Amino acid sequence: MIAPLVTRFLQHITQQNNWARPHLMPFAGQMITFDFVLMQAHLIILEDGSLAIAPDRTQADATVHIPPSLSLRLATGDAHAKSLIKVEGDLHLATEVSKVLQQMRWDIEEDISHVVGDIAAFKLGEVSKSMFAQAKKQSTDLADMVSEYWQEEKNILAKKTHVTQFNDAVDTLRHDVERFEKRIDKLTQSITPASTSSDEAPAAKPKKPRTRRSPPSQESA
Amino acid sequence: MENNGEHTTHFGFKTVAEHEKKAKVGEVFHSVAQKYDVMNDVMSAGLHRVWKQFAVDTSGVKAGDKVLDIAGGSGDLSKLFAKKVGVNASHNPGEVILTDINASMLGVGRDRMLDAGLAIPAMQCNAEQLPFPDQTFDCVIVAFGLRNMTHKDVALKEMQRVLKTGGRLLVLEFSKVWQPLEKLYDLYSFKLLPMMGKWIAKDADSYQYLAESIRMHPDQETLKQMMLDAGFHRVDYYNLSAGVVALHKGYKTA
Repeated sequence: MIAPLVTRFLQHITQQNNWARPHLMPFAGQMITFDFVLMQAHLIILEDGSLAIAPDRTQADATVHIPPSLSLRLATGDAHAKSLIKVEGDLHLATEVSKVLQQMRWDIEEDISHVVGDIAAFKLGEVSKSMFAQAKKQSTDLADMVSEYWQEEKNILAKKTHVTQFNDAVDTLRHDVERFEKRIDKLTQSITPASTSSDEAPAAKPKKPRTRRSPPSQESA
Repeated sequence: MENNGEHTTHFGFKTVAEHEKKAKVGEVFHSVAQKYDVMNDVMSAGLHRVWKQFAVDTSGVKAGDKVLDIAGGSGDLSKLFAKKVGVNASHNPGEVILTDINASMLGVGRDRMLDAGLAIPAMQCNAEQLPFPDQTFDCVIVAFGLRNMTHKDVALKEMQRVLKTGGRLLVLEFSKVWQPLEKLYDLYSFKLLPMMGKWIAKDADSYQYLAESIRMHPDQETLKQMMLDAGFHRVDYYNLSAGVVALHKGYKTA
């Protein structure tokens, strides 16, 4: 029962966003899977450029992996989160479908207007938009509070400044080590020619090793 | 099948001569034609409308396309397709042709189309000998009709012939139900269904035949293979309502 209902909804959304059809039509017959870890959505692009649930037991042409943490970030409009999405298979197909789906909008006011009329639908739309914005703000505030508690009180999470300081220290250490390595290399190179020349010219008179003169002992004096 | 030199086929659980099946199926549908829609709603609890809408939604037909509805009966699908391809549109109108081998069913369908303001052609024809040239249609659909056909392989080849390259065939048909539900489904089909047929359509035998013909129809994978054998490509199917019904879709490629 889910496939017919979801497909009906997808058809409705495509009808409301008719601009999307020409973008999807070149991929007609291809299948894409959105893997949200906890659930998967298998979609097929139809010949008229609309979307439907894919048939049973079919192989996807492209798979888009979106873990739950990333889903939340995408929902809050985090632009950086998009770059963390992993794609397998046909990259062109996955990019185009993802782009189209992100730009599609469900004109819910239009749908409600058929039942309650334009004015009431507009008011309901306004109320639901403000409620959604409020819920989004509340959840962002809650997330901020929890992360602050974990950073300040529990020390489970590291602060951004501490992470930056740690990274800087690691960088400094790495540079120091590199410099140290260079010095060792230089010293090794300065020693190596001497040993090589002694190998090449065994007949040469070996140099008398320089010894540090020990201070005269008080006894011999 | 062959029995004493005579070609035979199934009519429900019975085995009959091939030439008899057409007439027997005809009798069934003559008998139920007037109560067909009511019975469909009662038997499926209205789900047949969801299955048909789903078939239209996944067809991928667009405005201006040509659609052939085989065994279209009371015209439910023709009506949905007519809206989708825009048969009454002033710009780029589509075309839907309603066909059925049974005159009684076709009469019901034609009247319903006219009542809905849709003047679409209604033709009585046999799916095994379609009276259309090659490469005519963008989409061919047969809903709850294939199992009544004597030579399913011939009918599928005919459907493939009349499709344009890139066109698709949709077969909506009863299929093999999900195994854990089999017992319950059998109880419903062989006990409850004939009783409902007796009370509502005053015809228990026709609904006994319906239950038997569903069991004799090929399962999902077999029908897929039959479509591939008929020359279709990329054949896939959807199980609807736990496999009570399956929607197969196959493409004609060059």
